[in-house]
Amino acid sequence: MRNRLQEALRASRADYTEIRLERSWTTTVAYRGRRLEGANASLDVGGFVRCLNRGHGWGEASFNAFDRLPSMVARAHELSLAIHLDTAITLAPIPVREDSVTPDLDGDVRGISLAAKKDLLEHLNGEMLAVDRRIVDTQAAYHDEITEYWFANSDGVFLYELRPDITLSAVAVAREDGMIERGLESIGLRRGWRSVQNRDDIFQGAARRAVALLQAPAVRGGNYPVVLDPKLAGVFAHEALGHLSEADFIYENPQARTMMTLGRRLGSELLTVGDDGSATGLRGTLPYDDEGTPTRNNLLVQNGVLVGRLHSRETAARMNERPTGNARALSFRHPPIVRLTNTYIANGQGTLDDLLRDIPLGIYACDALGGQTYLEDFSFTSGYGYMIRDGRLAELVKPVVIAGKLFHTLDRIDRIAGDFRWNEMGGGCGKGGQVPLPVAEGAPHIRISEVLIGGEAA
Amino acid sequence: MIAPLLERAARRAHAADAVVKTDETVTLTFESGRLKRTSFAQERGTNLRVVVDGRMGFAGSTAADPDALLESAFASARLGEEVDLPMPRPSALPAVVTHSSRAASASVEQLADLGRVVVDRLSQDGYQITVTVERSVGSVRAANSAGVDASYDVSSVGVMVEVVRIKGDDVLIVGDFLAGTDLPSFATLEGLVSGVRRRLDWASRSADPVAGSLPICFTPSGSSALLLPLHLACLGKSALQGISPLADKLGTTWLDTSFSLSDEPLLDGRSGSRPVDDEGIPSVPLRLIERGVPRALIYDLETAGRAGCRPTGHGRRSTFGKPQAAYSNLVVAPGEHDLNGLLGLIDDGLLVDELLGVGQGNVIGGAFSHPVALAYRVVKGEVVGRVTDVAVAGNSYELLRRIAGIGSEQHWRGSAAIPEIVVADVAVAKR
Repeated sequence: MRNRLQEALRASRADYTEIRLERSWTTTVAYRGRRLEGANASLDVGGFVRCLNRGHGWGEASFNAFDRLPSMVARAHELSLAIHLDTAITLAPIPVREDSVTPDLDGDVRGISLAAKKDLLEHLNGEMLAVDRRIVDTQAAYHDEITEYWFANSDGVFLYELRPDITLSAVAVAREDGMIERGLESIGLRRGWRSVQNRDDIFQGAARRAVALLQAPAVRGGNYPVVLDPKLAGVFAHEALGHLSEADFIYENPQARTMMTLGRRLGSELLTVGDDGSATGLRGTLPYDDEGTPTRNNLLVQNGVLVGRLHSRETAARMNERPTGNARALSFRHPPIVRLTNTYIANGQGTLDDLLRDIPLGIYACDALGGQTYLEDFSFTSGYGYMIRDGRLAELVKPVVIAGKLFHTLDRIDRIAGDFRWNEMGGGCGKGGQVPLPVAEGAPHIRISEVLIGGEAA
Repeated sequence: MIAPLLERAARRAHAADAVVKTDETVTLTFESGRLKRTSFAQERGTNLRVVVDGRMGFAGSTAADPDALLESAFASARLGEEVDLPMPRPSALPAVVTHSSRAASASVEQLADLGRVVVDRLSQDGYQITVTVERSVGSVRAANSAGVDASYDVSSVGVMVEVVRIKGDDVLIVGDFLAGTDLPSFATLEGLVSGVRRRLDWASRSADPVAGSLPICFTPSGSSALLLPLHLACLGKSALQGISPLADKLGTTWLDTSFSLSDEPLLDGRSGSRPVDDEGIPSVPLRLIERGVPRALIYDLETAGRAGCRPTGHGRRSTFGKPQAAYSNLVVAPGEHDLNGLLGLIDDGLLVDELLGVGQGNVIGGAFSHPVALAYRVVKGEVVGRVTDVAVAGNSYELLRRIAGIGSEQHWRGSAAIPEIVVADVAVAKR
């Protein structure tokens, strides 16, 4: 494979050429209620080539058959030359490395039979169904993927990686007297077969939540002090601040650059936010991004002040900053674009009780069904929540929608607890048609002094 | 390769079917108004299904290795559920235009010109313009062991535009897209541009937010919270799971009698059009909701077998995974008001162009609560400016019983045709 890549690079007439080749084995098992939706394996192979020439644009080609690589390099070069640019695209330098990275797979899923994978999920789905007679429907899914990955560019970088991904997800639907509620849980890991054993608690938890929510009241909409649990706080960091820190949104827009000027104060001294693609063993962790840049811990906000942003080689060169290792591609079908990895809010001090203590009436919002941002505007749906009354957690309430404007909301974060944890949910992040990209999020409990709760969401 | 593959599968299986899709796509990306990137993508994938001893298995691959694909499909069938899956027999296919040789032969330079027209017509200081032009040419071939071997060529051309304007911390994003089988005419491109420009004009002023129980005009892009629950509710599979609220309402008046929804696979030149579905069933139009009365749900072979009804020709197969029921072109029937007429129904209310967070939560239940991403205040039938910091809530099925008016113009967004819809008494909250 190495020879194939190097020959193609040697034959390229472009100023810069970059090639990725991938071979992915995937297994999916799904249950719906008591019924097996399917258990099957797939094979996906393909490659991606990018060429860049001085004074010209990017030419790209993706394809399934590896033997088409030489003609695809020529195609990408031609497409690049057909674009003429006044402002040249330049790429910030990165270390030239040759590396081969094979992580601890913790049980290679390729050695496990399809029947064993089906049996595992059948058991977990059964655990969900057995929780209560009011569980009327379930969706249980097992997904594993192992990708052999080769990267080479004309600067001399050559990488080989084995990229594993494994997820379990649980949706339980409870019904009583015409009321329908759902409980959702998932786990996603860059590991293997052994790491998903003994996960009954996840599936039972989803079913218990669905049943408990049947009796839970809906929150009356309005403004409340809100405490976010680490899962929802992590999603908030990712959706609201993370995406605004992606330099491809700012680098060619003078107004956006002004809005996101480094040194701007965004919140109190308590708030520190970052994105760390090099953190150990998380779902968004990679040794290198898909331009061959080593990943690292990038601080975005330090003690309330905007201090950094996330780059590809192109955006870094344009803004005179360093590449951060955030150029990621979902697969060989896509170009690398600026993406998040493992986004976090750093630890503060104290416990959840400390955050609740002086709230007479508020909401403790937990877990995330989803989130969407419209740059400064955001909306998240929690998985469930509790009322806070007289400084303590009170009754369970149905999922709430939290909506707001980023800068106002950051300014209102008035407490951050010292109970940080990483969350490794399944699913992933979407941008530019590339979804789901594996990411992780982490945070301690955080408190927002006032935020709009939209009322019942589910 | 599909015939020899099925022949080999049929030696060991009681029934088999497969779909092979090929595609070559050219994508041009204009960033900040200039062409920066041109991509070529070539894709070929095979999805195979086998039925052995009444059990269904399936597999997909983009590699040219029929042995591995067959083994995967049979391994899947050994574990599969028992299904009643009668394979359709060959029959004549209806005529529908899914391919344009003009689009297929258009040069990269011709495609770039489409993007340049849009950029030039929208350029203005302070606007950051992103335009994507995409042209795909491909083929679909669906075959089965009962003798079906249907194929057709496809082409599609899409133009997507997004304008971002930032003033201080205020961010405005206005976007739209069009897609069809052929190259868009100048008039169609002009329609895209003028629609975006009109919304930018409306948003150039800001209006005071408003709250209460108000009439709202939902634009096609703003109507997803209204229509998405209905898309899920009309799936036969939702009825099988017992979660479709309209399954037991078939034949009864359930929504406003001005509201009709149909699936239209045989419209010439539309993105979702096809003469045959991916399971070999000839396409026919299907009325889903007729003057407020739910009439039909959509099924693929498997869900039809389980429900004991005839498949409706809605099998959709990608390379990976198993066939699923999916719509072709979804069409909401037009009403009788032009846009001015619709806005004239509103004394004080909103025109909603985009809501934030649609699709989260328990969608099929119909309840929603979303902040607006893009909305305008309407006073005495006139748009007076953009409003922010308001949220819209309700139950989509209940709102579709309170329709005050439907627009006479169908706006195509990809494979959906949607007019503007005015709904009375929608809950709007201010923050």
